[in-house]
Amino acid sequence: MRHFFVMTLFAALASVVLGSMGKDTPRDRWLYGLKVFAEFMLIGLVLSWILYFVP
Amino acid sequence: MVKTERLHAQDVEPTPGSAWLIGAAAWFVPGLGHLLLKRWGRAILMGSAVYVCFFAGMAMGGHMFDLNPSPGSSVLFQIPPMIGNLGTGALYIICWLLGVGFNDDPEQAARATYEYGYIFLIIAGLLNYLTMLDAFDIAAGRKS
Repeated sequence: MRHFFVMTLFAALASVVLGSMGKDTPRDRWLYGLKVFAEFMLIGLVLSWILYFVP
Repeated sequence: MVKTERLHAQDVEPTPGSAWLIGAAAWFVPGLGHLLLKRWGRAILMGSAVYVCFFAGMAMGGHMFDLNPSPGSSVLFQIPPMIGNLGTGALYIICWLLGVGFNDDPEQAARATYEYGYIFLIIAGLLNYLTMLDAFDIAAGRKS
């Protein structure tokens, strides 16, 4: 649970900064930040499940 | 220089000196660059992201890097993470002056969150480099 929380915290902080500077309009920034957050979480979960099965 | 290159060189406006000062302020104190530009929302969001990342890294028992290598290591391995840590500006300098976060403590290294901690400290610096570049670009008039 701690690992998941740390990953979520990292994804949230990075997406805040990337979303704030990424696009031109506030709506696009929100969407971009959410997209970056979702990508971090999804890729993190996929990688962790792949590594779970690697001996 | 060919004619087209000369035309492009004439089109480029010089970067104002204030942009370099804003960039330096943004590096030294996370969020200060945007505050000086009166971009309150960005200053709070981006600055607080850097502070939260840094203090979370410290709370997790993270370790920061300087040019003093740990025994059996080379100074060359210290430089890339140190560049990341340096991005936090005054936070890094204050910790370095106080000796906080630089000790090689085996008990600290044995903590489950030690690895996360030092990665968070590096990420805080890298996020502040992005914040600094954003403030510099706004001050130079390259973005809104």
